[in-house]
Amino acid sequence: MSEQSESGGATRERELLLAFVDIADTLVDDYDVIEVLHRLADYCVSLLGASGASLLLSNQQGGLHVMASSPDHASPLEVQTDQGPSLDAYRTGQLVQIDDLTAAATRWPEFATAALAEGFHTVQAVPLQLRGQIIGALNLFGRETGLGQRNLRVARALADTATIGILQERAIRRGEVLTEQLQRALNSRVIIEQAKGVLSHAAGIPMDQAFQHLRTYCRSHNRRISDVADAIVRGQLAPGVITDAHAPREDRPRSTF
Amino acid sequence: MTEPESGAESLPGLVSAVLAALRDSNDTLLQPMVRVCRACVALLPVDGASISIIMDTGHQQSLYASDAVAERLETVQFSLGEGPCFEAFDTGQPVLVPDLAHDAALAWPVFASEIDKAEVGAIFALPLRRGAARVGAIDMYRREPGWLSETELATALQIADIATSALLAAAVTSTDDEIDEAWLTMLPGNRAVVHQATGIVIAEFGIPAEQALARLRGYAFATNRLLDEVADDLVSTRLHPGVIDT
Repeated sequence: MSEQSESGGATRERELLLAFVDIADTLVDDYDVIEVLHRLADYCVSLLGASGASLLLSNQQGGLHVMASSPDHASPLEVQTDQGPSLDAYRTGQLVQIDDLTAAATRWPEFATAALAEGFHTVQAVPLQLRGQIIGALNLFGRETGLGQRNLRVARALADTATIGILQERAIRRGEVLTEQLQRALNSRVIIEQAKGVLSHAAGIPMDQAFQHLRTYCRSHNRRISDVADAIVRGQLAPGVITDAHAPREDRPRSTF
Repeated sequence: MTEPESGAESLPGLVSAVLAALRDSNDTLLQPMVRVCRACVALLPVDGASISIIMDTGHQQSLYASDAVAERLETVQFSLGEGPCFEAFDTGQPVLVPDLAHDAALAWPVFASEIDKAEVGAIFALPLRRGAARVGAIDMYRREPGWLSETELATALQIADIATSALLAAAVTSTDDEIDEAWLTMLPGNRAVVHQATGIVIAEFGIPAEQALARLRGYAFATNRLLDEVADDLVSTRLHPGVIDT
């Protein structure tokens, strides 16, 4: 776990690569998210030299849940739902690094006591981020020293892989539903542009002005833009109703087709 | 953390590069797609690649193209409404065209006639799919005709899977499992003009949207122009829609 052991040989490089491929494979296949997180925690110990690792994810209430740890009995990790480095990393988005846990007894009394009882003297908490949002943290424990910069970077890259895997697991489970949603959302974007074209040509006004009319109409009638745009494009709502400020409020059907 | 540039030269490298891009930027889609297209060129015997979202309605939204030839391949396919990427999307299967001059002439005669064979010898199109669900396609081309080996095809499919993952992950909000509407507004809007032009034709002739788009495509082909160019002329009122009466 010291810096010199990080230089590594070809074997270690290959092992790291395999770890990436292993976790990256979860992007492709159906899998058990808990199993992936356990594998990640195991890699942090077996490949990167951490003495213990735990992965915590946020719950709906803003707290953290321990999802996986290595070794399994790393109990001090459990109490972190109330206090501890991972919660700090989660809240601040910054790496939390403690080189001497005895000095952290006032900061996190319960956590420090429990960690020291397990023989851990250092901890590094890495925030798990996705699109600027923090969804959890990875804790790395050491008996003497923490991970060096290089291994810490690898740990973070592995954690990122797991992070996306978690989202992906939801996306896989709901893949078809999501794709339908995506298709629908994209279609309504297309239809809004088409409606702008209809209004612009019918009223002889620029596109941006056509869009303003559309928005104003939707606001004053409390209707969704995509619904109104659809009615315009289908010829169920005459352009004049939208672009004429003094138009009556009820929708007038148009009988062109 | 900044990933080394060389990282994209392997599949795990691509995965971590895509992940880093997803993690770090709020403009979530462009950088991951750039990484994916670069990986295609680095890992496969192809000269360029592009990625697009495709809709059930035959609309296509280009996300990134690695060079001008790849971009033109997408533009021409969208202009005509036919070609390998649409077939890959429709069938959910890879579409391999190792010799464009011979193979494409059979499947998509019009598309084949529009592509410069000096620039494009082969095209490989892969669907972006998850199970039966489809979101778009990757188009790759090479200047010289030639096959993808079995291993290369496997790599290409893995790249497509990574791209699909990135696309779905980017489209879904982190807090719930819904499509993020705000994300949609960040997509490149390079086809908006075509949709607006479709609206103009709808208003002029009182016809449904699909028919209006088909007329636009027909007019563009008949006048030997691209759909994007005709649409641009309509929207900027350089062209009156009354001429598109075929």
